[in-house]
Amino acid sequence: MRNATLKGLLAHKFRLAATALAIVLGVSFVAGTYVLTDTINATFTNLFDQVTQGIDVAVRSREAFSTQGNEVRDPIPATVLDRVKAVDGVKVAEGSVTGFAQFIDKHGKAVTTGGAPTLGVSISSAPELQAGTTLREGRLPTGADEMAVDAQTAEKHGFKPGDRIKVLLQGPARTFTVSGIIGFGSAGNLGGATLAGFTLPAAQEVLNREGRFDEIDLVAAEGVTPEQLRDRVRAAIDPRYEALTGEELSADAARAINDSFGRFLSTALLSFAFVALLVGAFLIFNTFTIIVAQRTRELALLRCLGASRRQVMGSVLLESLVVAVVASLVGLGLGVLIANGLKALLTGILNFDLPTTGTVFLWRTVIVSLAVGIVVTMLAALMPALKATRVPPVAALQPETAFAPTQFRKRRIVLGLLVTAVGVALLLAGLFRDQGNRLVNVASGAVIVFFGVAVLSPLIARPLARLIGWPFAKAFRLPGNLARQNAMRNPRRTASTAAALMIGLALVAFVSIFAASIKASTTRILDQTIAADYILNTETFTPFSPELAERLADQPELEAVVGVRTGAFKQDGATKQLAGIDPAAYDQVVKSEVTSGSFAGLAGGGLAVKEDVAKANGWTVGQLVALQFPRGGTQQVPVKAIYKDNSVNGDYLLALSDYQRFYADQADTQILVQARPVTAPDVSRAAIDRVVTEFPNVTVRDQAEYKAETARQIDQVVNLFFALLALAVVIALFGIVNTLGLSIFERIRELGLLRAVGATRGQLRSMIRWEAVIIAVLGAVLGLTIGVFFGWTIVRALRSVGITEFALPVGQLVVFVVFAALAGILAAVLPGRRAAKVDVLRAITTE
Amino acid sequence: MTAAIVPGDAQETLAARAVQVTKVYGQGQTEVRALDNVSVELPSGRFTAIMGPSGSGKSTLMHCLAGLDRITSGQIFIGDVELSKLSEKQLTLLRRDKVGFVFQAFNLLPTLTAAENVELPLAIAGRKPDRAWVDRVVDAVGLRERLGHKPAELSGGQQQRVAAARALASKPAIVFADEPTGNLDSASSSELLGFMRRSVDEYGQTIVMVTHDPSAASFSDHVLFLTDGRIVDEMANPTAEKVLDLMKKLGG
Repeated sequence: MRNATLKGLLAHKFRLAATALAIVLGVSFVAGTYVLTDTINATFTNLFDQVTQGIDVAVRSREAFSTQGNEVRDPIPATVLDRVKAVDGVKVAEGSVTGFAQFIDKHGKAVTTGGAPTLGVSISSAPELQAGTTLREGRLPTGADEMAVDAQTAEKHGFKPGDRIKVLLQGPARTFTVSGIIGFGSAGNLGGATLAGFTLPAAQEVLNREGRFDEIDLVAAEGVTPEQLRDRVRAAIDPRYEALTGEELSADAARAINDSFGRFLSTALLSFAFVALLVGAFLIFNTFTIIVAQRTRELALLRCLGASRRQVMGSVLLESLVVAVVASLVGLGLGVLIANGLKALLTGILNFDLPTTGTVFLWRTVIVSLAVGIVVTMLAALMPALKATRVPPVAALQPETAFAPTQFRKRRIVLGLLVTAVGVALLLAGLFRDQGNRLVNVASGAVIVFFGVAVLSPLIARPLARLIGWPFAKAFRLPGNLARQNAMRNPRRTASTAAALMIGLALVAFVSIFAASIKASTTRILDQTIAADYILNTETFTPFSPELAERLADQPELEAVVGVRTGAFKQDGATKQLAGIDPAAYDQVVKSEVTSGSFAGLAGGGLAVKEDVAKANGWTVGQLVALQFPRGGTQQVPVKAIYKDNSVNGDYLLALSDYQRFYADQADTQILVQARPVTAPDVSRAAIDRVVTEFPNVTVRDQAEYKAETARQIDQVVNLFFALLALAVVIALFGIVNTLGLSIFERIRELGLLRAVGATRGQLRSMIRWEAVIIAVLGAVLGLTIGVFFGWTIVRALRSVGITEFALPVGQLVVFVVFAALAGILAAVLPGRRAAKVDVLRAITTE
Repeated sequence: MTAAIVPGDAQETLAARAVQVTKVYGQGQTEVRALDNVSVELPSGRFTAIMGPSGSGKSTLMHCLAGLDRITSGQIFIGDVELSKLSEKQLTLLRRDKVGFVFQAFNLLPTLTAAENVELPLAIAGRKPDRAWVDRVVDAVGLRERLGHKPAELSGGQQQRVAAARALASKPAIVFADEPTGNLDSASSSELLGFMRRSVDEYGQTIVMVTHDPSAASFSDHVLFLTDGRIVDEMANPTAEKVLDLMKKLGG
């Protein structure tokens, strides 16, 4: 029996290879994701180990407020340093600070990163605490106008010791002399960040930390372990501050990076792995159904010869197991290559200069990848295996009943509708009800919808194929008509082949609808809510000096200038985001519908909140609410205004005067500007540009430019999605190739007959081609239908975060169908060639 | 030897002919001579049967005559056209326009109705069917009632009659039938053969039929007997008894 199975495997080489490819791709994404994130994780751990070298214990504020992936902690007053210094066993104690500093390159352009921060830090004067940095060139800064530059930036922008380099800061920009170039062990920068190192006093001054530190670093005296010192320090300081050993500090930093960046990366990559495997599962199901159908007589013969049902089923499952194991192993190998490729890509895009850490390949990666590949394959092959057991022995003796019309039982309709309904319910629950893991609900709902539609699709495959095939039958006469008939004759097979493509197309359609809706919503917000003529921000939405807004406010051509600062705070322990604004002019640049109180009331400090938030908390104007901020801890802040959602304000607006009290760093992330009504646009623009030249990291856009830029950024992300989803489409194409291959095998006599009575090879190729196109378009139509549904529900669900418009990019969707049709043509090339080569005599002579 | 096709007038035209045709399969030790220097003339408007035991080369001869198979040496003409000079594509078009086929089994496309199957070669050629002629053929095979049915809904005999109607629908120069009654009961066989006979008598159709059934051969004008790739005998105006006798003699 086993022998027969393995021989069977060899007989279906091509078909199995195509199936295996689907598994290989899916598994390689899974493995690649793990290898990449493990490697990045290890890299950052190494990096932080390096950076924290020499630090035995560090003291910092306990509360962390995370905003946009960065943790913000309140700086420590200098008095804490004095207290810590007095602890027994401290050899060296020194404060350190970190803040915003951005280089201006020699062409006057701001040095940007791929999203990592632009850091200014203090560099210790104590030799013990300098171990984290590695001097590459020159010397460390000693004077107030000196700085060290990270090696990566220095190399990229040609900074050399002695150069005078301008640096953008929270306050006015300043020029420093480069004293030296520093690295971090073998790494040239810190995970893509640019870094300016100042002396501690200079850093405190330019980074807005006078009299305060972000962290106090300690070196233990001889004979004192870091743990002992940590415990002693902990006992000596206020519980608002925490003490960690150097190791703990490093691990915590690595964890923070992994929590933001690593988790995002692995979620994104694993999603695509999941899509690839889902499509792959359909393909596997299809292939094994096909193989079982082709081997009906052979299986029946085995049954005649005494093989039990269990043996027959075992034979099919063994076959799938062999395919699964081989494909998963190949996928594992490919995954390592993918991980290395992606790592190179990340290094390129994000300007990471990672220390050389070997690729991390954990047993967990091997086990999970193999398990995923094998389980998915075996599950997909289970149904066909069960079907194989139902082949009666007598089938070996009967003529083939190839064209028995498929019976549609009520069971299929009921089951299909039920599954689809469950999927839709789960999807909607995930989207609209804040319960359980919403992402999991949405994703599993979507997957179940795919299965439901796949169960139902054979019911509509025949009429749909008839409809889609109509123009082909009209335009291409006989080949078109035969293609249409062939696509209709086995609706179950046509449907399951199309289903694989359906998934890819549904996701592509969904992404494009989602993107179009975001664009439409942005346009609407700009048109209806933002009254500002100009919007200023940096390309990566990093904060910039508030000096810019102050200088702009002095320009006579400008009516209103509002800097917007963002910050995190905690309410009942949960981290929330707010925007700090100058209430005097805010009304002029952003239209808000205030239902209670007024923005003018914010002049003396206080909070404005969105109506929903006020309702949920039972807040009314005049009430004091307790909020916890990085500086000053929990504060009672009065609610001064309640506004309706306008997609711009967000949930909380804090008066600037309060923002300045509650946050250590004062930097704008956006400036909204309204010109004087009498000023011509080019005049007001020139006035802004004049000021902005000194802030080269900031870009000025009018409303039209801002819309275009938003669209461009969305398109960029969408294109990335399309590139990854193309993978799913390619796998689905293999499915079409597979199905056509089987059809040709089954219809070899028909093909021979057609050739005998005068059909040319071209006509046969054309017939196969149009059949492939009909199947592909069928899959595309099903996919688009689901994609439009997904898009609509999700856009509806995201109304509260500002996606108020549902946009249907009809032109783009049509392009997708055309693209699917072209893909069908491509998929038909090989099968068509094979059909054209059919030996007429072999096909028509009776066995 | 040349099978001198009898009678008839000197000006009688030939629908097809084979001149010293040899067909060899394989080479060396495994070489098989399926046809060994065979020459045949097939006059227009006649019904010729080719007979012989299994492996005698009768099907090979038909396939070669019909342009379905290539020969090793010699010449084959359909009308004035020599087949060995034609490209694959030209051969295909010749089959489409000049030749009709009836096979033993699997003559029809299962996805097409009987009517569509009848007009298949015309559809392949993209030609408009001669409505009156197609109607006449369809009526002659007695299938008017069943034109809208798919092959799976027709009996074996009906399917073969649809195939015969298809072979005639494009008015080919010659129709080749390969064991057309091989899978039919005797009543269905006579019906089909009767139709073929009438198409020769009434419309002047040329038919070449391969068969091993003496009673089928008796519907023809002339029978050629093949053994081991050679024509060993022939018979004009055959009857089933005479054919059977000759077969016994040849076999013994």
